[in-house]
Amino acid sequence: MLQIIDLKAEINGKEILKGINLEIKPGEVHAIMGPNGSGKSTLASVLAGRDIFNVTGGKVIFKGKNLLDLSPEERSREGIFLAFQYPVEIPGVSITNFMRAALDEHRIHKGLKPMPAMEFLKYMKEKKALVEMEAKLEGRAVNEGFSGGEKKKNEVFQMAMLEPDLAILDETDSGLDIDALRVVANGVNKLRTKDNASIVITHYQRLLDFIVPDFVHVLYNGKIVKSGGKELALELEETGYDEIKIKADRS
Amino acid sequence: MKQENNIKNDLLNLFSEDKEFLPFRLFNESIKNIIKEKEIPTSKTEQWKNTSLDAIFKHKFELGKKINVPNQFVDTFSFYGSEADRLVFVNGFFIEEKSQISQNKDEIYIGSLRNALQTHKEIIAENYCKTGLCKHNFFTAINSEYSQNGAFIYIPDNVVLENPIHIVNFIHGDNKKVFSQTRNLIVAGKNSNAKIISSYHSLSEDFTLNNVATEIITKEHSNLQFYIFEGEGNSANLINNTFVNQHEGSTFISNTSTMCGNLVRNEIHIDYKGEHCETDLQGIYLPDKEQHFDNFINIKHSKPNCKSNQIYKGIIDNKAKAVFTGKVYVARDAQKTDAVQSNKNLLLTDSAKVFSRPQLEIYADDVSCAHGSTTGQLDQEAIFYMKTRGISERKAKTLLMSAFIGDVLDKIEISAYKDYVKYLLNRRLKGQKVEGLCSLQICPSC
Ligand SMILES: Nc1ncnc2c1ncn2[C@@H]1O[C@H](COP(=O)(O)OP(=O)(O)O)[C@@H](O)[C@H]1O
Ligand SMILES: [Mg+2]
Repeated sequence: MLQIIDLKAEINGKEILKGINLEIKPGEVHAIMGPNGSGKSTLASVLAGRDIFNVTGGKVIFKGKNLLDLSPEERSREGIFLAFQYPVEIPGVSITNFMRAALDEHRIHKGLKPMPAMEFLKYMKEKKALVEMEAKLEGRAVNEGFSGGEKKKNEVFQMAMLEPDLAILDETDSGLDIDALRVVANGVNKLRTKDNASIVITHYQRLLDFIVPDFVHVLYNGKIVKSGGKELALELEETGYDEIKIKADRS
Repeated sequence: MKQENNIKNDLLNLFSEDKEFLPFRLFNESIKNIIKEKEIPTSKTEQWKNTSLDAIFKHKFELGKKINVPNQFVDTFSFYGSEADRLVFVNGFFIEEKSQISQNKDEIYIGSLRNALQTHKEIIAENYCKTGLCKHNFFTAINSEYSQNGAFIYIPDNVVLENPIHIVNFIHGDNKKVFSQTRNLIVAGKNSNAKIISSYHSLSEDFTLNNVATEIITKEHSNLQFYIFEGEGNSANLINNTFVNQHEGSTFISNTSTMCGNLVRNEIHIDYKGEHCETDLQGIYLPDKEQHFDNFINIKHSKPNCKSNQIYKGIIDNKAKAVFTGKVYVARDAQKTDAVQSNKNLLLTDSAKVFSRPQLEIYADDVSCAHGSTTGQLDQEAIFYMKTRGISERKAKTLLMSAFIGDVLDKIEISAYKDYVKYLLNRRLKGQKVEGLCSLQICPSC
């Protein structure tokens, strides 16, 4: 589904991603872990099409297409979804209008007609239930005045609405208490099929108790320095990142 | 100096004695002197610092003539349903046959000033030139002396009007550069309640200058909503002065939407003649290309216990310019005054400009006054966030822009009018043409 080949990216002349290689197949869940500042969010942003980052080398193939040639909105319509580490507040734009606009564009892209209003509201209600999102949030502006937990739920709700082929969850667990974490993880798990895939970026192993990954990668200083199965996350939980850092810095 | 005098004389020559202007001299002798004294504002005039009229007065004007409007255009602008009473003016002339008035009962008067002089002379004399408008500046003075006609609306004490009244103002150059004047007088009696829309449109692409002056008197405990819709053509210029005198316990709300025009200067002046008044002045402005829209507010808290609120928001595109001046004066004994002012601007390009000036003069000590002014760009983070959900850049910007001014439009209390303005706004923001707004293809034969 996704192949990242020797991907390099910089911002303001500073190289952040220094040659990333990763292959993801349908049905797989990949966890990316690593200390703060290693480039996890940068990788997510580059995949989503954030133009403040300058791609200086490498290739990304998504469903046979050259992903880096597409605009962020085209990537979304093609099936990429990024759940933001820091979701953006959009004052004055209601969640309903926002999702309506997004879903319309996705449907047009698929050659479908916009969903009739009644059907849309029903669809939205269904998806909201998935993340136990409160009804009162519906009329509110996107993320405006939301608590940390509400923002993260809203991300997963949007993911449920758009049904992406590849979801990238950037620290969707951070700032959540254990109950909220369970709800969010449950939502993600329910959306899993044999045809879609996800990249779960996290700092802690905690989330991976709920969303069980097929592969775990450690990103450090712009490179994947270690890959393994789900047991790697447990290992890291015990040893911390220090050992990996020392090893990587030496080589 | 000499050149300025020439411009002034050229303008005054338009009003040669044989023209039939409203005979307001009957009530007021001194205006001719004011006209002599006052000069056309220049960039040296303090309150016109950021709005220059030089480019306008490079043109030589003729006086606008009475021209009939094709039905289709009247219909185009009857945007709030058929129930509304409608007064139609072209170049300041009353077009009686295109107007429709159904609420004229119980002594209510909705019609032209000229006609009203025959039946309501006393009420007119009591209120005309009593708000400070006539002597305000050169434009209001010539309007007071040389207007063709305008609306007169009189709502007697205790009358509550269910339906809005719409004053439709057309300007029609007829292939000439035209100067027109309209003079309105609105008197809202004690405990009365009414909603009035005043809209401005062009019927030709000619270079025009429309000098409008409106006096409004809200008597004790009345409630008046005054909506201004400005959608004249790209070569049309509008100077629009509104002076309001509020009596004890009255509420005045205005909502101004400046969508189009070349140069637009709106002035709203509020003065309190009694305590416990409320004023809410709302506005949006959307200058594009090289348009220049200026809003000047002057609220004079001359009595205690009054509450005023100003909220103006603008989106400035291309090389356009916007000016906002919010003047609040609180007299020494106007204690317990509550005055709030907010001006927010969104600049869409690097060459778009805004001048935002709060002017507070507060002489009382027990008051609550707040003002805030912000100027910013569209939030790039928010645009990226929306794009990652599949929303196009254009749609994302449109959503942000409508959200930015949405709260001002949501305050409109005539739902059909609100829907219409929102519809126009959305088309404007999407860059789509709107029939009858900004560029109107007139075809007199059809
Ligand atoms: N907008 C930005 N401007 C400048 N530097 C940035 C920006 N975003 C990220 N960086 C830098 O890139 C590096 C990686 O950051 P990030 O991808 O956020 O790490 P992580 O998500 O792994 O904590 C850090 O050194 C950070 O300072
Ligand atoms: Mg991060």
